[in-house]
Amino acid sequence: MAKREIPEINAGSMADIAFLLLIFFLVTTTMDKDQAYVRNIPKRVEVPPENLPEVEQRNIFAIRANSKNQLMVRTELMQDPDDISERVIEFYTTNENKNILTNNFPMYSRISMTEIESALTAAIQDAEEVENTPNAMSEIIEFKWRIVDEWNKKKRSLQLYGKKELPEIHAQAHIRIEVQIATEYELFAKIQSELEEAIFELRDKAAKDAFNEAYSTITRRYSMDKDKLDKEKIDLMKILYPDRFIEVTPKK
Amino acid sequence: MSKFKKEDKKGAPGVNTSSLPDIVFMLLFFFMVATTSKESDPTVSVKQPEGIRTTDMTPYKQRSEIDFLYLGKPINPARAEKYAAQGMEYLLFMDNVAQPNPDDLYNTNAIRRWKLDKFESKPARMSEPIESVITCIKADKGAPSGMIFDIRKELQEIEALTVAYAVRDNGNI
Repeated sequence: MAKREIPEINAGSMADIAFLLLIFFLVTTTMDKDQAYVRNIPKRVEVPPENLPEVEQRNIFAIRANSKNQLMVRTELMQDPDDISERVIEFYTTNENKNILTNNFPMYSRISMTEIESALTAAIQDAEEVENTPNAMSEIIEFKWRIVDEWNKKKRSLQLYGKKELPEIHAQAHIRIEVQIATEYELFAKIQSELEEAIFELRDKAAKDAFNEAYSTITRRYSMDKDKLDKEKIDLMKILYPDRFIEVTPKK
Repeated sequence: MSKFKKEDKKGAPGVNTSSLPDIVFMLLFFFMVATTSKESDPTVSVKQPEGIRTTDMTPYKQRSEIDFLYLGKPINPARAEKYAAQGMEYLLFMDNVAQPNPDDLYNTNAIRRWKLDKFESKPARMSEPIESVITCIKADKGAPSGMIFDIRKELQEIEALTVAYAVRDNGNI
């Protein structure tokens, strides 16, 4: 029998098949990223602690929203939620350079390097003392060392900041979000958005002043290569403008 | 005698298309690789509110350190009616869980079990403690904030202490 030639397969429709698949994936691909505001939930406490120090009114920045989605920021009724961020910035910056006792904004303390250093040595001494006490609770030791860490952080921050003093907002100063059960999530998210905007703006300005760099540039670079210097820069910004948000559980 | 040959009438030569499949395949592979499939399709409809200065959740997703929780109106009209009669307009949907009883998943009571199940089913190399495994709440614009706090309370009970409120970043500022 004569040798028959094997006919070549026509590959002309290969492209069509590939196109079909391509179009399927093109259509089903969603490029949207998941974006969110990350928050921490406080730990549950079994017994509520007693004799807590009273928080001064000037240190509270309360944002209240009722079930009709009406807003109240501190003592002012607010129509437009876009104004929240301005008020937050005002809250942080009014007394930043000079404490004025008569206004209703949180006080700042300005600590110098010598003060930080003496506090640091005192903290180390204290921690070592507790460590050497027989049957000291491990939590307390841990807690004391955490204080030492904090002072170390402050010391490093002031070095980076390059000024004589490190301004620090009152430890009690915080922002609280009080919503009611029926408040729409849209408004709740808007409040979060405004807070984030305000904090970002403050930190961004500080970062530009101190390092001539945008805050977002630093955080982005840090997320990529975990550089130690960037971490310290971010720590400084967090000391200058801490984000202490409290979300109050609505009452039934 | 002219020096130049008169061109004979010729049609345009056909373009060689034999490498077209290669190009198309290249594109195809790109999209196949870039596609991330959703873990599961939520059975509630969620229209997210907008916000700015958000955190991108993609790195957490890649490390599976995030669980998604949806809060919206049920898509299925029969189900919507059934729950609306009980005064529950907005329902929960939890991602990716073995569900013995589908209705069970619409309750806040099921959050604990869901979260712990997911946490335990993670491979051992993911040593992230439960406190820092994010629970991302994707809630509808109109959802009542009270439900967000119900969820928070459940998470607090099991010490899953990181939440994220999902929004759509309009990022034009």
